[in-house]
Amino acid sequence: MLPPAGAVYDRGYRPYEGERGGRGASRAALVRVSIRRALGLRRSWRQKVLPWSLLAIATVPAVVNVGVKYITRNTPAADFDLITFREYVGVSTTLLLFVAITAPDMVCPDRRNRVLPLIFARPLTGNDYVLAKVGALTAILFAFSFLPQVVLFVGQMLVVQEGALDFLTENAEVLWQVPVAVALFSLYWASLAVAISATTQRRVVGGVALLATVFISGSVATTLVRAGGDGPATFVEGGNLWGLLSLIDTPLRTSDLVFLGHVDPESLVGGAAGAGIGVVLVYVAVVAGSLGYLLYRYRSVE
Amino acid sequence: MADDLLLRTDGLSLRYPGGTLALDGLTVDVPRGSVGLVGANGAGKTTLLRLALGQLRPTAGTIEVAGRAVADDPIGVRAHIGFMPEHDCLPPDQTAADVVATLGELAGLPPRAARQRASEVLDLVGLDEARFRPIGGFSTGMRQRTKLAQAIVADPEVVLLDEPTAGLDPIGREEMLSLVGRLAGFGISALVATHLLDDVQRVCDQVVMIDGGKLRHAGATQALLHRTGALRVEVNDGAARLAELLGAAGVAVTVLDDATLDVRVDGDGDDVVDLLRDGADDLGLALHAMTTRRTSLDELFVDEPR
Repeated sequence: MLPPAGAVYDRGYRPYEGERGGRGASRAALVRVSIRRALGLRRSWRQKVLPWSLLAIATVPAVVNVGVKYITRNTPAADFDLITFREYVGVSTTLLLFVAITAPDMVCPDRRNRVLPLIFARPLTGNDYVLAKVGALTAILFAFSFLPQVVLFVGQMLVVQEGALDFLTENAEVLWQVPVAVALFSLYWASLAVAISATTQRRVVGGVALLATVFISGSVATTLVRAGGDGPATFVEGGNLWGLLSLIDTPLRTSDLVFLGHVDPESLVGGAAGAGIGVVLVYVAVVAGSLGYLLYRYRSVE
Repeated sequence: MADDLLLRTDGLSLRYPGGTLALDGLTVDVPRGSVGLVGANGAGKTTLLRLALGQLRPTAGTIEVAGRAVADDPIGVRAHIGFMPEHDCLPPDQTAADVVATLGELAGLPPRAARQRASEVLDLVGLDEARFRPIGGFSTGMRQRTKLAQAIVADPEVVLLDEPTAGLDPIGREEMLSLVGRLAGFGISALVATHLLDDVQRVCDQVVMIDGGKLRHAGATQALLHRTGALRVEVNDGAARLAELLGAAGVAVTVLDDATLDVRVDGDGDDVVDLLRDGADDLGLALHAMTTRRTSLDELFVDEPR
């Protein structure tokens, strides 16, 4: 007769005598585990579809731009750019949907399923947890935003008429501007998204709350800018500082500062006096506020 | 520091911000092995476990786990401790193998070693067949065994088990107690927090009893049972008068009816027997029967004067 399912057998026990990492290893493991989960690795194919589809979608403009460059390389339209490196950082806003799904998935189940006491029984603190989650999402966003830029840069370099070396020389500034802008963009969305997600145990609520926050803030800012006069809000020359309230615009204006040294005059804040400083202050306030809230939220285990 | 101790506390107190005094000057040395931490709900058991994990800072006093002062490195000490919480704490959408391997990695094991260890310990707890199934489909017993597996995946020196048999049916309870009882043989000392004294009697060689944050008893389980027995005394009548006489002499007595009483015995009990014999004689009572019986931990816990 077969023993019942789940019976306990005496198979002995072997003590572990291999390598053990310290706290650094535990922190790195938390980042690694968070990245794996976000990318759907070691999970069912359904969890893999979204992240990898979005990466593919985010890369499409780069491929199209390179294709157009190739086709027009010997024509008067050779200098036409479908999209610039600066604008491509904005295209990465398509990743907002990915952020709205991934950030809640990173933190909400841990609280909902009460996994936190298990995590904090390891050599990890609330600070480690916050930095690992924000760091993991920042790293993924950076990769997903940076890789299409690499495709755009390398693709153009290979197909332009003047040759790769000339293209590289002419666009040397991009080599630092793109990583810096993309890093700032990624840190902004990762901090804000994880902070908003940490307010709830439900993933759906976290995602909706993030999208609502950024879109409502954008709508409010647009309305207030329009109320200030001077025509359609998105094309206000010398717009006003109410545009700073748009949380969805902040990382784009930060990119303006990296690439142009000033805020795009066709944006909500336009050429308003102090717009650049205002953007920097809003950026710092959002990131610092989000991280501060998260550190407070996870200051002690449940 | 004492390396041969599982736990040492000295004047350990913790008052929560709300004012509740969870532990009140607890001083105890607990040797390695299987140790039962017994107390009613709210006695301070879970608080003591959280202090051992460095998750709470004591209001006063010190605590050492496996010879390491928690205050010196409250985070690092966790590398040597496994913890099994009382409540459900496993993600239902992940497999047992993934959860245990992940928690092994978080304890500092390299990824490949963590997966290997997860496989071994899940095999050990009887989940070899089920380890690739989502935990959401597990029975309570399988979940408890998964929780135990994650606690020992990194081969800790000490595991803190909070109510390991909670919610289990008799078969699941037997399996869990069997596993807990084997931990000491693996070189893992276990501190088993429970309010089920029978569990402690069966698998723990040491017992620490706390009540209202204070120490009630600490020592070897068998010695405690041997030391604290009872005499069932039957007299022809006047049990109450005999009880009064014994009580005046400082002996704990429970009157069951007019002719029967239980007399608490500490140590070999010769002095109590002498007192009984002389007292019955003085009162003119006939001693019909006097039988010894060992006190279960339950009775000890309930009957002990506070």
